[in-house]
Amino acid sequence: MSELDDELMQRFQKGDEGAFTLLVRRHQQPLINFIARFINDRDSAEDLAQETFIRMFKAAHRYQPGRARFNTWMYHIASNLCKNELRNRGRRDRYRVENVVSNGRDADGDTEQVDLIASAPADASFQPDVQLERKELRKAVQKAIAELPEEYRLPLVLRDIQGLSYDEISKVLELRSGTTKSRINRARLMLKDKLKSFMEPL
Amino acid sequence: MNCLQAEEHFSAHFEDALDYQTLQAFEAHLAACEGCRHEHALFQESVIAAQQLPQIGTSPYFMPALQQRLAEEQPERLSFWRQLIQVVNRPRWAFSGMMLLIFAAASIYFYHRDIVDWNARPTAIRDTQTSQQEGQVTRPLRTGLSAVPTLNNSRQFSPGSSMSSQPMQQHYVLKTVSYASTPTRGGL
Repeated sequence: MSELDDELMQRFQKGDEGAFTLLVRRHQQPLINFIARFINDRDSAEDLAQETFIRMFKAAHRYQPGRARFNTWMYHIASNLCKNELRNRGRRDRYRVENVVSNGRDADGDTEQVDLIASAPADASFQPDVQLERKELRKAVQKAIAELPEEYRLPLVLRDIQGLSYDEISKVLELRSGTTKSRINRARLMLKDKLKSFMEPL
Repeated sequence: MNCLQAEEHFSAHFEDALDYQTLQAFEAHLAACEGCRHEHALFQESVIAAQQLPQIGTSPYFMPALQQRLAEEQPERLSFWRQLIQVVNRPRWAFSGMMLLIFAAASIYFYHRDIVDWNARPTAIRDTQTSQQEGQVTRPLRTGLSAVPTLNNSRQFSPGSSMSSQPMQQHYVLKTVSYASTPTRGGL
């Protein structure tokens, strides 16, 4: 995947703009997922993802294949944009947004089918209680993640939701490997404490 | 291992990254401590729940909107110096450039050392060598004693003395040239 990204970036640097479109198509979904989970706002996630790609487009000549991975660079730009966005929101005193999108998506952006009545006849293993529990759990997890301090939330999202390696996270956040590991462990412990009340009755 | 130390290893244990000794100590502690066992179970559940969050999809308007914005943007162009710095920053280019510089510096050093060596020789030896070569077609070479310049305009050097304090010595070699045997083919 990394080699293909490098090749596409080299093509783009030589003037092939179609290569950049292909890069966007390959990375748009994980990028939007990362931003939405980090800032807990699906609508702004697309705007920030667009801004990330625009910045990469403009600064493409600075990318040097082999020195950094494309996705590390992308997450680095995106995380800086997200931090700025959260800072601006803090200033405007409208940090958390819990909106229900009119097309049926939840505030956490799940695209999974949640219409229990409609899905009941078609799904043989359908269990309304389990579905509801799962949905509640997802909401609780997203809420708990959103409540984590920023310096712990970012590595947690990169590790457990985006699946980046510790090395990659260290490069994205410009942290030492040991610091990254300890922050992720600390973030997970905080998450566990926040979800304790939800999980213990189970 | 106490409870705090065990908690520090929750992530590493979850990712199977503990070394054998630590793993043994960790599992021995969990076996003995019910509180840690409970916390560890909650830890694993919550991490798995976070990892199983569904991916958030992209709206159909994302790509057209982005392409419209990209059409209005132009990639930044690098100045000449930034391009040069970028080339030099590449490891293989940096290495090659360094080797080239070392080679050039070494060449300049040896070139000048040879000139100093030649000029530092006593004048008598150089004159003898010059007279031995007289009448031959000579090619001025800087190294060795076999060749001498036909016109030697040199200064005497000695270590520690300044150039301006030494008188300039000039050595001229006059050659007799005869054109008697040169065919002119009807010309002059």
